Amino acid sequence: MEKVLDARGLKCPMPIAKAKKELDTLGAGEVLKVLATDKGSVLDMQGWAKANKQINLIKQETTTDENGREIYIHYLARLG
Amino acid sequence: MSTEITTRELFERLVTRGDTLPVLDVRNEDEFAAWKIEGRQPLTYLNLPYFAFIDEADRSAKRVAQAGDNWIAVCAKGDSSAFVADVLREHGTSVVNLAGGMEAWGNLHVPVRVGTGSGEFELWQINRYGKGCLSHVILSGGRGVVVDASRHLEVYESLLAERGATLVQVLDTHVHADHLSGGPELARRAGAPFFVAAGEGFELHAAVQPITDGTELSFGGSSIRVIATPGHTPGSTSYLVNGRWLLSGDTLFVNGIGRPDLGGLVEAWGRSLFRTLHHGPLGMLPAGTLVLPAHFASPGELDGDGVVQRRLGDIRAASPELALSTEEAFVEAMRRSVKPPPEVYQKIVAANLSPGMVRDEQASEWELGKNQCAVSMPSGPRG
Repeated sequence: MEKVLDARGLKCPMPIAKAKKELDTLGAGEVLKVLATDKGSVLDMQGWAKANKQINLIKQETTTDENGREIYIHYLARLG
Repeated sequence: MSTEITTRELFERLVTRGDTLPVLDVRNEDEFAAWKIEGRQPLTYLNLPYFAFIDEADRSAKRVAQAGDNWIAVCAKGDSSAFVADVLREHGTSVVNLAGGMEAWGNLHVPVRVGTGSGEFELWQINRYGKGCLSHVILSGGRGVVVDASRHLEVYESLLAERGATLVQVLDTHVHADHLSGGPELARRAGAPFFVAAGEGFELHAAVQPITDGTELSFGGSSIRVIATPGHTPGSTSYLVNGRWLLSGDTLFVNGIGRPDLGGLVEAWGRSLFRTLHHGPLGMLPAGTLVLPAHFASPGELDGDGVVQRRLGDIRAASPELALSTEEAFVEAMRRSVKPPPEVYQKIVAANLSPGMVRDEQASEWELGKNQCAVSMPSGPRG
């Protein structure tokens, strides 16, 4: 089971702020898939997972939507 | 107290007045380490990424409060730092947010008048402070020439309009690698000719005038001598204004010289640069010539009036690179100074060779960060 958070069109800090809220509702090990259009989210998610020992950044992907817009996908889980 | 400060207001405080405001930078550690706000005086910094305020607002706010008060909050684009500023204010800490963040800081252009002179002739240095990029506007007899324009054309167009001058010539000192040139578009909009020399090995897809080394460009009672100064790039050109001011591009800086390794041919370009500096016209110009370069590396290079300029004789006396008096020693030092340029420089060069292809948003992303166009020799401290 994975939950999807659509943060497309949102500027920082919103992708992380919303991801944090969602993760707080999930059990340990449950995966949250975050869709974002803010390119800064790629490095920021890495920095966040490094700083917050409870956050596991499982992987990151980049795809392009039907309008040619880049979508950054982050898979996160809560460890603690 | 206002909750926001504009880049121009921050420039006035940190650079014009030399204030020392503490900076709270909420970007990632790597981004902060690579590029930050600098003032005339050394500043105190606290780098605490914005997600620390999402995870632990109270603890993070307490950390900031313990470190100081009256902060300038900074992030990449100004939104995360606005969020952090709100959190801090709720905790009783005084903070103003830098509107537009580092992106806007890197795009701020401040025109500074060079010298005074009579009303007929004016030389302006346009300081793109955050990136350390300099361009120049020469006004004479109601006519204007712009050298090394950035893509922020409104800066040049509004200065020309304000001074009542018509743009008659646009020049670039070389094909830039750290920022996109606004030269071709500025010239097109004014119907003025544009010149840049790409040099051997480069195919330039822009309409340029056929100008050669030694040409004198006359306008409004002033003259500009075109001087080929290859080395930083094969086509690098300097412009001597009224025999007194040398717009040296990236060939000569007030504290050093331009890197000859950006094209991956440090040996060939290094030899060429040595000859330019020692035997070419730059070696012959009088010591009193005032050098106005296209970059500076640190705020200490601004003089009391905020102008980046230095007498050629003083540069010759102070530069460790110019003290290397044999070609072999110079080339060897250049070889040792080679460092990989930012990856994006190749894309910027390609875009400057084929102007008009890059969207604003893309350009903004490519241009982030301070220029890395000067030689930094691995040994030896510098002034």
